[in-house]
Amino acid sequence: MLRLHDICVQLGRFRLKHIDLHVKQGAYLVLLGPTGTGKTVLFETIAGVHRPLTGQTWINGKNATRWPPEKRRLGVVYQDYALFPHLTVRENIAFGLRLIKNGRKGIRQTVQEMAGFLEIGHLLQRHPTRLSGGERQRVALARALVMKPHALLLDEPLSALDRSTRDRLRGELKRIHREIGVTILHITHDLPEAFYLADHLAVMKDGCILQEGRPEAVLKQPENRTVAELVGIRNLIEGMPEAEKLMTSFGPVDIRGILPHPPKDLQKACLAVPGWSVALFPEGETGPYLWQGRLCISEMYYMDGQVELELAHPAGECLKTSLSRREAAAVPVLLEPGKEIPAAILREGVCWVPA
Amino acid sequence: MKTFEAVMWCLGTILILMVLIPLLRMILAADPQILQATVSEPEVMHSILLTLRSALWATLICAFFGIPLAYILARRPFPGRSIVQGVIDLPVMIPHTAAGIALLMVYGRRFFLGKAFADLGLSFVGTEAGISLAMAFVSLPFLVNAARDGFLATDPRLERVARTLGASPWRAFFKVSLPLARQSILSGAIMMWARGISEFGAVIILAYHPMTAPVLIWERFTDYGLKYARPVAVVLILICLLVFSVLRWLAARHREI
Repeated sequence: MLRLHDICVQLGRFRLKHIDLHVKQGAYLVLLGPTGTGKTVLFETIAGVHRPLTGQTWINGKNATRWPPEKRRLGVVYQDYALFPHLTVRENIAFGLRLIKNGRKGIRQTVQEMAGFLEIGHLLQRHPTRLSGGERQRVALARALVMKPHALLLDEPLSALDRSTRDRLRGELKRIHREIGVTILHITHDLPEAFYLADHLAVMKDGCILQEGRPEAVLKQPENRTVAELVGIRNLIEGMPEAEKLMTSFGPVDIRGILPHPPKDLQKACLAVPGWSVALFPEGETGPYLWQGRLCISEMYYMDGQVELELAHPAGECLKTSLSRREAAAVPVLLEPGKEIPAAILREGVCWVPA
Repeated sequence: MKTFEAVMWCLGTILILMVLIPLLRMILAADPQILQATVSEPEVMHSILLTLRSALWATLICAFFGIPLAYILARRPFPGRSIVQGVIDLPVMIPHTAAGIALLMVYGRRFFLGKAFADLGLSFVGTEAGISLAMAFVSLPFLVNAARDGFLATDPRLERVARTLGASPWRAFFKVSLPLARQSILSGAIMMWARGISEFGAVIILAYHPMTAPVLIWERFTDYGLKYARPVAVVLILICLLVFSVLRWLAARHREI
């Protein structure tokens, strides 16, 4: 549906480098990356605002590289929604329809239907300045969707909202995608948002797409250390492979059975250990463990129903993990900073990444 | 905090009084009967109307050329943008009599441009067109700078969204950018018109006749003295005050809508 091939864009000192991306018809692709990484430049390049130095943009099988934004039929929703402040909600939604001269009655009916679908029918006479963040987002979505776009481009549409509104509207985006079936390219730096919405994930940093695939596949095998960090793998342990061990600052870590094997001539390797692969109070000396030892609780804080823990090794390295409050209450000792507890790294969930 | 605000108020008030006292002194010292007689003088009313009309033409013509320039200055980075900006500000810096001489040298009949216009039937020396030209030259920074600031204050993403909704660059400009910068443009236009009305130095060199109100005031002052010049000045000030108050009120009303 939407294909980018070898796109390079220069904007001041910033450069997008050789972007290849394919968004299938009806897909929900989330582009995940930290702030300042070029997500919005890419978003605007797809929308036709910036012209690439090299590469091609294909929309529905047609080379759209030189098409102006008005010819691309891509709906865009910016982070702050960019509603026209001098127009009412009704006029905002009808803006594009009026340009294609749909007829006054037709426009009115289409606007009404879309407003009903997004539950903003009661806001049609208001000006955007008098709307809440959530209402503005719905209006911006309505304005884009009413044009029946080939794809919807969303640039951090939830980041300006408070948490409860964000959670509600996240569900709303999923509903829109399910019910309308529109192809969506959603840009965000928020991990839970990305994993909640994406059926396809692309990870981006410093103007490059580092990896793309199904979210669980990216999580299971990140292609490098940066991707592992960006998808929220909390522990990256460096070491030197020696026979079937990895010599790390935690001591030797048993690396048998971790696939794929690191190349034999590798001087340095890195293990990506998700928080859930760190076990506290492991049972027995042998088990599905890569490493066992005692770690000291250096940081501990509560968030939602979780207890977040930072466990320090005497050599200085830390492991991060979290427990549910119920799990924390069930451990045999009282968890508090400074206390030393037995811990282990499970074989499950751990993978290699190039150091 | 109270002392801070009191000091700020005091300093500001001194400036306001510096403007108001001479004007009020002049208006209050005027004899109503003489004012009435001045208003009924055809020469005075003709020169005031000529001044208002010429300044209006200058503003409209500058708006036609200046708004696109302001948009480009606000939106498109290009090599030499700061030089263009400097050129726009130049009329504020140079003495207006010098501006008048420069205009005379270009639009007079001895230079090819003035000659070309004259051949087309448009002469700028001693004509209403010349008055408008002089007014436009010295007051255009007010309009262009205000319009540029208005476009700068408008989020460019609004235009981008309009484009993605099917608007051509022209439509996006007329439906989004221009309405949103309207307030600044109106303000700039009012300021430009006001500055045009008060122009003396450039106008007197390019077009002593027909006589604009500032030229008439100066002529009466040098030929007959203060007593004879003051009523014309008072009438001009009162008319300008009335017109600007109405324009400002209309502009503010527009903003509220």
